[in-house]
Amino acid sequence: MAVQDESRGTASGVDQGELKRRNVSGQPNGSYIPQEVEEKMDDKSKKQANSFLQALDDYEFLVAPIIFTALAFFTRMWKIGLSNIVTWDEAHFGKFGSHYLKREFYFDVHPPLGKMLVGLSGYLAGYNGSFEFKSGETYPETLNYTYMRLFNSAFGALCIPLAYFTAKELHFKKPTVWLVTMMVLFENSYTTISRFILLDSMLLFFTFTTVFCWSKFHNQRHDQFGPEWVLWLVMTGISVGCVCSVKWVGMFGTALVGLYTIEDLWNKFGDLKMPKVTLAAHFGFRVVGLIVIPMIVYMLSFWVHFAILENSGPGDAQMSSLFQANLKGTEVGKDSPLEVAMGSRATLKNMGYGGGLLHSHIQTYPDGSAQQQITCYHHKDANNDWFFYPNRHQGDFDIEAPVNYIGNGDVIRLIHAQTGRNLHSHQVAAPVTKADWEVSCYGNVSIGDTKDHWTVEVVNDAASWDYSKVRTLTTAFRLKHTDLGCYLRAGNVNLPQWGFKQIETTCVKENRPRDTFTHWNVESHTNERLPAGDPGSYKSPFLRDFVHLNVAMMTSNNALVPDPDKQDDLASKPWQWPLLNVGLRMCGWDDHIVKYFLLGNPAVYWGSTFSLALFIGMVVWYAVRWQRGYDELTWKQIDFLHYSGVYPVIGWFLHYLPFVAMARVTYVHHYYPALYFAILCCGFCVDWYTRELRKLTRMGVFMVLYAVVIGMFWLFRAICFGIVGSHKQMKHLKWLDTWRMTD
Amino acid sequence: MSSPQAARARGKEGSKKRATTPNPDGSAAMTNGNADIDLDALKEKSKDVVTRQWDYKLAFAVITGLAFLTRFWGISHPDQVVFDEVHFGKFASYYLQRTYFFDVHPPFGKLLFAFAGWLVGYDGSFLFENIGDSYITNKVPYVAYRSMPALMGSLTVSTTFWIMWESGYSLPACIVSAALVLFDNAHVGQTRLILLDATLVLFMALSVLSYIRFYKLRHEPFGRKWWKWLLITGVSMSCVISTKYVGAFTFFSIGVPVVIDLWDLLDVKRRQPLSMPGFGMHLGARVLGLIVVPFLMYLFWFQVHFAILSRSGPGDDFMTPEFQETLSDNLMTQQAVNIDYFDSISMRHKETKVFLHSHADRYPLRYEDGRISSQGQQVTGYPHNDTNNLWQVMPSKALEGAGHRVKNGDLVRFRHLVTDTWLLSHDVASPSMPTNQEFSTVAKGDANGKRYNDTLFELRIENGKAGQDFKTKASHFKLVHFPTKVAMWTHPTIPPLPEWGYKQAEINGNKNILQTSNLWYAEDIQGIPADSPRLVKEERKIKSMPFLKKYVELQRAMFFHNNALTSSHPYASHPVQWPFLLRGVSFWTENDTRQQIYFLGNPVGWWFASSILAVFAGILLADQVSVRRGVDALDSRTRSRLYNSTGFFFLIWAAHYLPFYIMGRQLFLHHYLPAHLASALVAGALVEFIFNVEPNELADFTEQQIQDGRKGTSKTQSTRRRPIRERIAGQSLLVTWAASGVILAVLVWSFLYFAPLTYGNPGLDVAQVNARKWLNYDLHFAK
Repeated sequence: MAVQDESRGTASGVDQGELKRRNVSGQPNGSYIPQEVEEKMDDKSKKQANSFLQALDDYEFLVAPIIFTALAFFTRMWKIGLSNIVTWDEAHFGKFGSHYLKREFYFDVHPPLGKMLVGLSGYLAGYNGSFEFKSGETYPETLNYTYMRLFNSAFGALCIPLAYFTAKELHFKKPTVWLVTMMVLFENSYTTISRFILLDSMLLFFTFTTVFCWSKFHNQRHDQFGPEWVLWLVMTGISVGCVCSVKWVGMFGTALVGLYTIEDLWNKFGDLKMPKVTLAAHFGFRVVGLIVIPMIVYMLSFWVHFAILENSGPGDAQMSSLFQANLKGTEVGKDSPLEVAMGSRATLKNMGYGGGLLHSHIQTYPDGSAQQQITCYHHKDANNDWFFYPNRHQGDFDIEAPVNYIGNGDVIRLIHAQTGRNLHSHQVAAPVTKADWEVSCYGNVSIGDTKDHWTVEVVNDAASWDYSKVRTLTTAFRLKHTDLGCYLRAGNVNLPQWGFKQIETTCVKENRPRDTFTHWNVESHTNERLPAGDPGSYKSPFLRDFVHLNVAMMTSNNALVPDPDKQDDLASKPWQWPLLNVGLRMCGWDDHIVKYFLLGNPAVYWGSTFSLALFIGMVVWYAVRWQRGYDELTWKQIDFLHYSGVYPVIGWFLHYLPFVAMARVTYVHHYYPALYFAILCCGFCVDWYTRELRKLTRMGVFMVLYAVVIGMFWLFRAICFGIVGSHKQMKHLKWLDTWRMTD
Repeated sequence: MSSPQAARARGKEGSKKRATTPNPDGSAAMTNGNADIDLDALKEKSKDVVTRQWDYKLAFAVITGLAFLTRFWGISHPDQVVFDEVHFGKFASYYLQRTYFFDVHPPFGKLLFAFAGWLVGYDGSFLFENIGDSYITNKVPYVAYRSMPALMGSLTVSTTFWIMWESGYSLPACIVSAALVLFDNAHVGQTRLILLDATLVLFMALSVLSYIRFYKLRHEPFGRKWWKWLLITGVSMSCVISTKYVGAFTFFSIGVPVVIDLWDLLDVKRRQPLSMPGFGMHLGARVLGLIVVPFLMYLFWFQVHFAILSRSGPGDDFMTPEFQETLSDNLMTQQAVNIDYFDSISMRHKETKVFLHSHADRYPLRYEDGRISSQGQQVTGYPHNDTNNLWQVMPSKALEGAGHRVKNGDLVRFRHLVTDTWLLSHDVASPSMPTNQEFSTVAKGDANGKRYNDTLFELRIENGKAGQDFKTKASHFKLVHFPTKVAMWTHPTIPPLPEWGYKQAEINGNKNILQTSNLWYAEDIQGIPADSPRLVKEERKIKSMPFLKKYVELQRAMFFHNNALTSSHPYASHPVQWPFLLRGVSFWTENDTRQQIYFLGNPVGWWFASSILAVFAGILLADQVSVRRGVDALDSRTRSRLYNSTGFFFLIWAAHYLPFYIMGRQLFLHHYLPAHLASALVAGALVEFIFNVEPNELADFTEQQIQDGRKGTSKTQSTRRRPIRERIAGQSLLVTWAASGVILAVLVWSFLYFAPLTYGNPGLDVAQVNARKWLNYDLHFAK
C-alpha cells in the first residue's frame, strides 16, 4: 500500500498535494517548517519558570548527544579486555589484520576497507603480526588485543551520536529522538558485536553514516546546489563507498539511496518549469556524487590493499600468474625456465577471473566414470604439478634426447606428478555441468589411449608474437582434446562436498576462443635441462587485478552455500532474526571461559518488529481512509510519513529480504544493519502516535518505554560484558528454548 | 468507459478498468463525464455488431479445427516411451495399481492421466522404466493417454482466441494471438505427449479468460453469471496450482487486477460509491471464490490421492512410519515385531543400508596421517548379511527372565554375539574424521567394570512417544552414546576403511545428533522359534491418520524435495535463454530411421512474440516519460487499453517468467510455455495497436490541445472518446490484415519446417538436420 501511495505521489506528484490541501482549511500552504524551529517557537511561547531546566532544555542539542556518546563509549568499552582468548570471528579478521602488518597477500570474500582498519588498529597497538589468531587461543603478552578491540568498539560507539542526529534530521520530536538513540545505545547485540575485532562495528558505523548523510542531504533540498547540499551529497557518496568497501551487504544501503535518488529525479523530470540545464545538472551531480565517488572509494580501498600487500602470502593462488610474479618473495616466475619443453614440470593456471590451478587428487568421481577427479584449486600444493609429455605416437619420453620445445599445435599428454595418471576426457557427462564432457585422470605413462591427447592452441602471448613456443606466465593457450575436439575449461561452478567444493573442470564442446575460462598459462615451471630466466617482468594492470579479485570473491561467496548433510549450530534462518528466536555462542561454553552470547535486547527486537507490522497496517489504514474520502493527513504529515517512515521501512526490506532469497549460510549478525532501520521505523511509529497526546501522558509513555529498553539491557548485561563462571547462572534468562545461553 | 450496458451487450468492451496509475486525472474526468448521453445510440449499434460476429465465429471454428488437427496428427508415433513420459506414465500406472508413490508435483494433473487410463480399462502393469521402451510389446493404451493432453492442448488454442475476442480485439489480432500458439512447435510437442504442461497451460489460459468474463460483469455484481464466472476463475486457478506449483504465478497475475479492482471499488468518488458493508461483500465474495474454494479443491485432490493410493509402494520411504502404517500390504505392518531384552538383532543404517558389524580385527595403532587409535576392536558397516552383524540387546539395569520389552528412551547396551564383546564409544578420534568419535567394543570384564559407562547408549526412536515399544523395521532410531552425547553414524561421503578394515564402511560418533543421517532400524531378530507367540500377529487393522496430518506431512516432503532438485541436466537451460529460444531439449531419438523429437518452439513465432514484448515495454516507457514531460501522444481510451488490457497480458507474462530467475532448481524450456502464451496475447494486441495508429489525429492538435491533453479537458476527451471498434470501423483494416497475413504465412512455414523435429517423423538426412540447426541447436544425426 505504501507503493500505491507513492505511485500516486510520483505520477501526479504535485497535483495530489494541492488536491489535498484544498480540502483542509487553515493549513499553511505546504511550505516546509523544520521540526526544531517549530518546537523552539513552542518553547518560547511557554516561558517556563524553572530557569535551570529551561537552560538544560535549550542546550539539549549539545548536552544529550554528549551524555549518550559518553554512555556509548562506556557500554562498548567497559571490561573490554576481560576475555583474553580469540573470540569467534576474531580468528578471521584478526588474522587478516596480521596479514596487513606482515604485508602478505591473502584472500578473503570481503572487500578490504574494514580489514585494513583492523590492520591499522594492530599497527597502532604495536603488534607485529606474528600471532596466528587461532580460535579459542589465549592472546600472547606481546599483543595488545585490548587496544585493538578498543579501536573497533570506537566505531560501534560512534553509531550512537549518529543515531541521535539522524533521528533529529528525520524530524522526530525530542523524546522520540532519545528513544531511538537509546534503542541503539542499549541494544545488547550491537554492544556485544562492537566489542571484538570484527568488521560488524565498522559496517554498522558506515551504514549509520550513510543514513545520516542521506537525511542531511534530503533536508538541504531547498538550497539546491548550495555548498551544504553539495557537501552532503558528496558525504553520502563517500559513506556509500565505505560501507560497500567493508562488506558487500553495504550494497543494500546503496540501493536505498539509489531508490530515493530515482524518485527525486523522476519528480524533477516532471517539473516542466525547471530549465533543462538545471535538470541535467541535477542528473550530473547525482551521477558524480552517488556513482563515481563511491566507485572511486571502493577502488581506492583495493588500490591501497594491493599497495600494502606487496609480499607473497596465502592468497596468491586466487590471483593471476602475472600478479603473483610481481609479489615479493614469490616462487612464481622466479628462476623458471622461460620456455616450456617436453619433460617440464609445471602448474597450469586458469586465466578466467577467479581461476585456479589445474588439480587432481586420488579421490574419484562418485558417479560418471568413477575415475580420479580433476578440479581447479586455489591452494598451492604438490597435487597441482603436471609433466608435459610427448603423445603416445611419439614413443616414450627420452631424458637424453635434445630438448623438444612445445608450441602452437603440438599434441601432448599431461601427466599428474603425484599419481602418474594422464589428463583424460571421454564421452561421459561432467558431474555438475552435464552438457560438458567429464575430465578425469586415468592410466599411467604406459597405460592409456589417445583420449589422453591434448592439442596446444596458443591464444596470445603478452611477451612475444612467436607462437611456436609456450612461455611461462605470458603465453595464454587452450587445450583442445584431440579426439573429441572439446576444450578444457574450468568455470566458476563448485563441486559438491565430495569434490571438496573445488572448481569443476570439464571439457566444453563449443569452440569459443574468447572464453577466458578455457585459457590457461604455465605458472610455476621447473626443468633442470633448461636455463633459468625471469619471465615475470611484465606487470599486470591494476584494473585487471581489481576485477579479477572481485570475481574471485564472488565465486567464493557463492560457494558458501549450506550443506544439507551438515548442520551448523551457529547458523540461523532469516525468519528467526526479527523474532529474536535465536542467539549465538561466540566462544566455548566451558566454565573457565568468559562467555559472550550474541543476543539482542528483546524490547528493541520485538518492539521494532512489531512497529514494522504496525507501520504497514497504518499505511494501509490511511490509504483506505483516503480512498474513502477522508482527507485526514496534511501535506506536511504525508511528507513526514514518506521520508521518515516509508524510507526506513524500505531500508529494512532491502537489508532483510535478500537474505531470505539468498541460498548461502546466514547468521544472526546479518540482521544488524536491518535492525537499525526497524528501530527508525519504531521511532517513527511512537512519534506518530504520541504527537497528539497530552504532555503528561506523553511523558508517561516515554518514561515507560525508556525504562523497558534500559531495564532489558540491564537484565541481559552479562551476555555483553562477559559471563564469568558457570553458564548455569543464566538459567533465569533463558526465556526461549532456542536461546542457548545455557544448556 | 462510455456505456457499461452497451459494452456488455457487445461482449467485447476492451477498456477493463479505469487507468489507475498512469493517468488518474484523465480517467477521473472521464468517469464523471457525460458518458450516458449516447448510450441508446450505442446500444443500437452494438446489436449490429452482435449479428455481425459471424466472422469471429468462423475464425474460431477454423482455428479450433486446425488445433485438433495439429495436436492429434500422428499421435501414435512414436510408439515408445518419450522423455518425461517415464515419470508421468509411471505415476498413472501407480494410480491404477493403487501403490503409494511420491512426487514433487501436486496430484491433479497426474490423476487426469490415471483417469484416462482407467477409462480405457488399463491395469497399469507397465511401469515406463526407460525412454525408448516399446508401448506395443508392453500393450499400453498410450494413444488414450496422449489424447488427454492433446485434447487440452487443442482447447488451449481456442481459449487463446477466445481471450482476445472477449477482450475486444479486432479479428486479425485474435487470429495472430491464436496462431502464435496454434502453430507453435513447443506447444504442439509438449501437449501430444504424456506430460503435465498441457493441463497447466490450458487451465492457466482458462483462468485468464474467466477472470476477463467476470470483470466484464462488474456492473451487475452478485448476479448468477457474476458468481458463475468468479467461481470458474477460482476453480481454474485451483486446477493450475493442483498440477504444478507454478500455479502460484497465476494466482499472482489474477490477484493484482483483483486488488486494483477492489481499490477502485473503495473509491468514494465512484459514480455509485459503495458503503463499507457493500465493499465487505465484494471483498468476501472474492476471498471465497478466489482463495477459499480453490484451496478446498486443492485439498480435495490430495484426499483423492490418498484414497486411491491405499497400498504400500515406492513412495513409502519418503514418509514417516506412522504414515506408512496407514498403507496396506506394507512390509512394516506385516513384519514389525516387538524387541525384547536379550534378543539378538541386526541393525541397519537407514540411508546407506549397511549393517552394524564387528569382527575380531582391531584398529591399527597409527593411521596414515599419524593420528593414533585406541586399537580397540573394529566396528564397521557391512552391506551383507553375516553372523557378525548380530548384537544382543542388554539392559542397563538388572532384569530377571525374558519377555521385557525394549522401550523408547531406554538406556541399553549391546553385546556382540560372535566375539562376546560390548559396544562402546569413547573420546578417541575415528579413523578418518578427527571430529568424530571412534566406535569399538571391549571384552566383558572391562564392559562391566571400569568401561561400564562407555557402553551405555540411549535409544531414541524418531518421532516416538516416551515409552513406546521398540520394533523391528517400524522404528527408526538414533543410538546416542549416553556419556558423550554422540550419535552412532555413518555416511556415504566418508571414504571406506583401508585394507585393514576390509574396505567396509566406517562407523563413528557424530556430535550433531539432530541429523537425519543418524537414523538406524532393526532389521531382524535372530533365533525366535517359528512358533513363538511373538510372531503370531493378530490381523492388524490398517491404521488411519487424520487427512490434514497426512496432507501436511506430504506437503512438507514435497517442498523439501522440490528444493533439492538442483542437479544439472544435459538439456537444462537458464531462463534468459527461453525468450530467444537459444536451445531446446532432445526428447527421443531413433537411430534406424534417423527420426528424433527435439522439443523446440517455433523460432519465428517466439522471436516475434519476444520482440513485441520489448516493443511493448518500450512504448510504456516512452509514454511514461513523455507524459511526464507534458507531451501526450495517446488518447485516453487507447492508453487505457494499452495499460489495462495489454498491460494485464504483459503482467501475466512477467509473473510466469521472471520468478524462474530466483529459482534454484533444474529448469527446462517447457517452463516457459505459460509465459509464451501470455506473450502471444501481447503480440496480438500490439499488432492491432501498431497498425491502427491514426497519425492524422496527432497532426490536428493545436499547441493548446497538447497542453490540455495532460489535464484531460472535456473537449479533447469527447472528440477522442469513440470506442476503438468504431474508430477502426471507419478506416480500413487492410493494413492490419496484410500484416497479419504476412506474420501467419511465415509462422506456418517455420512450423512446417520444424515439424519433423516436433512429430518425430519423417527422419531427416544430414543436410536437412544441419539446415535446421539455426542457433546451433544441438540436434542429433547432424553427422
